[in-house]
Amino acid sequence: MENITKLYGSLLANDNVSLTLDKGEILAIVGENGAGKSTLMKILYGLEMPTSGEIYINDKLCDFKSPMDAIRQGIGMVQQNFMLFNPFTVAENIVYGKEPRSHRIFFDRRKAAEIVRELCRKYGLEIDPELKVEDCPVGLQQRVEILKVLYKDAEIIILDEPSAVLTPQEVDELLKTIKGLAALGKSIILITHKLQEVMDVADRIMVMREGKRIAEVKKTETSIEELSYLMVGRRLAARKVEKQKSGKNVLKIENLTYVTPEKKNVLKGVNIHVDEGEIVGIAGVSGNGQSELIQCITGMIAPTGGKILLDGKDIIGRPVWEVRYSGLSHIPEDRYYMGCAKDANLVEVAIMGHHIKPAYSQKGILKTTEIRKFTRNLLTKYDVRHSSLTQKAKELSGGNIQKLIVAREIEHGNKFLVAAEPTRGVDIGAMEFIHDKILEVRSKGGAVLLISSELTEILSLSDRIYVMYGGNTNGEFTREEATSEKLGLLMMGGKLNE
Amino acid sequence: MNNDTQKSFIKICLKAWNALKQPIIATVFGLLIGAVLILTTGENPINIYNQMFRKSFLEPYYLMQTLTRATPVIICAIATAAAWRAGNINIGVEGQMIIGSFTATACALYLSGPPIFVLTVSILLGMMAGALYSTIAAALNLRFGTSIVICTLMMNYIANYIASYFVNFPLKDPHGDPIAAQTAVIDKSLHFLKLSSRSTLNIGFLIAVGITLLFIFISQRTVFGYESKMTGLNPVFAHYGGVNQRQVTLKTMALSGAIAAVAGICEIFGVKYRYIDSMFVSGGYAWTGLMAALIANLDPVGMFFASTFLAGLQVGGQSIQRTSNIPYQMATVIQSCITLFVSVKLTFDFIKWKRHAKTGADKEAD
Repeated sequence: MENITKLYGSLLANDNVSLTLDKGEILAIVGENGAGKSTLMKILYGLEMPTSGEIYINDKLCDFKSPMDAIRQGIGMVQQNFMLFNPFTVAENIVYGKEPRSHRIFFDRRKAAEIVRELCRKYGLEIDPELKVEDCPVGLQQRVEILKVLYKDAEIIILDEPSAVLTPQEVDELLKTIKGLAALGKSIILITHKLQEVMDVADRIMVMREGKRIAEVKKTETSIEELSYLMVGRRLAARKVEKQKSGKNVLKIENLTYVTPEKKNVLKGVNIHVDEGEIVGIAGVSGNGQSELIQCITGMIAPTGGKILLDGKDIIGRPVWEVRYSGLSHIPEDRYYMGCAKDANLVEVAIMGHHIKPAYSQKGILKTTEIRKFTRNLLTKYDVRHSSLTQKAKELSGGNIQKLIVAREIEHGNKFLVAAEPTRGVDIGAMEFIHDKILEVRSKGGAVLLISSELTEILSLSDRIYVMYGGNTNGEFTREEATSEKLGLLMMGGKLNE
Repeated sequence: MNNDTQKSFIKICLKAWNALKQPIIATVFGLLIGAVLILTTGENPINIYNQMFRKSFLEPYYLMQTLTRATPVIICAIATAAAWRAGNINIGVEGQMIIGSFTATACALYLSGPPIFVLTVSILLGMMAGALYSTIAAALNLRFGTSIVICTLMMNYIANYIASYFVNFPLKDPHGDPIAAQTAVIDKSLHFLKLSSRSTLNIGFLIAVGITLLFIFISQRTVFGYESKMTGLNPVFAHYGGVNQRQVTLKTMALSGAIAAVAGICEIFGVKYRYIDSMFVSGGYAWTGLMAALIANLDPVGMFFASTFLAGLQVGGQSIQRTSNIPYQMATVIQSCITLFVSVKLTFDFIKWKRHAKTGADKEAD
């Protein structure tokens, strides 16, 4: 790719970026959110047209008008969100778009399975072609995606944040697969912001920032520190969390159960507790009951049974405002689904939950001057980049709106904070900032329940860690005992052999 | 003018244009389609439009007609918006208007006492009846999950037939035309004050202005207004933030019904002085109000002007019928076309928004 430039309106997404890729090479592209990595790959895969610049494959000038053109030139892409037909089998998914036929019109299921087995043998990937995709764990589903690309004879494979949804063990498998494919002569582009993985597999690393190519280095000549410096443009301080004595109990959950209206047992007798001055992490692959646990604690859904004591007071079945009023703040796991309204302006987003406090309303009338002052204060204190108070939430970048939500919740000054995926999809700078704020709550004697699917986040912040699996806790660790291997094993439902 | 004020002036103009361009473009298209239809009747559209708008907006007598007609339309638009902004699509404004104003009329006919007392009690009872009537739909929705849209729509018919029964039997005017299904005329002391001796324009119009202002205050300055707006924009966000959504649904629907009742009360106490069978159905006030609310995208000031414009279109259409061979229905056609073009824009926005949400999610994943 030579001198690729892409303009979205006045936004320069890619600024004169060039890129080369050799046969059998693994190239990693790293950069913060909005650095232009995805845009560049979309151009290569024919999803977007560059404003200027050219693409050469095997020295031949190519002009991709759609992904079909790119696929024909041997380019395949594994998207972050899988595009699979869940009720269908692995084999059916893989051959989709180029199905083997019998008598020209009928789909040949047996032959499809045969092709897939052959494919697996060739690339050393194991999978049962007859398995239904919905019964496969996430790691296998990703393997199906990779096989799909291989089936279409891709020579260049683009992997977009492939490890984001995987457990540590699955990540190891994936990295092995990537190395194996490269050894067989495939060229691979890996987009990620996890630098450890980059150092594990990549041959060459390209760093992007603000749409520009900042640097290109060989793996052997660089280090994680250098890469993160290049990505962010400044040195990141290593985080040191001082040990702190925990105080009296803030949250106590006993035997909490929740059965969904569809009669699914989602929580099966959960017991956890959080004390003053401690951050308690809950690790787990998403979908193991964490969301329901949070919603039970915050009063958004009513649990089926059990006890939730907040500061000694039973809050089960209490409405959300009452739970919040008795001292709970909540950073929600999904900022657009729950944390704000896209079409609300910044003031309206910032004041939610505060609006019934006497400082901001009296007898049902809002004190608009105070509210605007409060919002302005939040925006400056938490460095939320904005142009005016009447801007809509959807006009802010994801990281900035997340900072505003964190600001809103922490500024309640409540003793107990539920932080669910507090840094999902935000860049390193914002992530650091949010982590600092959460630690601040702790050092002021507050209690934090941190739920995250990002293991590094759990490991670096938590004083104590629970692992959730299948609707219950599957192990508890102190900071010293926990390692990502142990957690990963328990997250998959395994047991530790003492 | 110095440079800075000039800049801010341009900024304000741009903002105004951005807010107004959608209804203006829709109006232009609506009028163009109307023009084509007028051409087919052999008349000159420019001529017809000229007559139509000159009359309904520039001649004092017709302007007052326009404002009289606009009164219930404005109030109906506000009633629609009061529920809609919280995500409750109340298309039963007509039914609430009938129940509310019919209750008020019945009270005015049978209560005795000082006029100001009777008038106040009648209006309050009428508003309560309208509120209760719309709350039925809200309660059914909360209890059984029925659709508010469908319930309120069906309840329009129920309301009209209930009132129809009363004006045909127990409350039928004993002195008037024996075929006319209508109540007796309410006492003269209860009539709304007229603003001009020459026309029907009365203080009902000032009430409409007052309700618009009150609605602006409620929606921008109160906790209730804030909570209902957030519920409308994202119910999950509101729930998460501690908003009691059952209460918001009940309150917004009740408010909507009460305002709808006022629309009917203004028309009866200010213009007709009696309830006539199906008077609000044939008048189409509620639906015109709904169109105005859609055209103005629920903005209170916008709804005020959109309602007045649509009322003017109807008054102009009536007057044109007398002087040319353009039927009155032309006004309805133009009005519907405008609404149609506005909703085309809304649908388009929705599709764009969905597409944007998708690419937004992609960007997020970057």
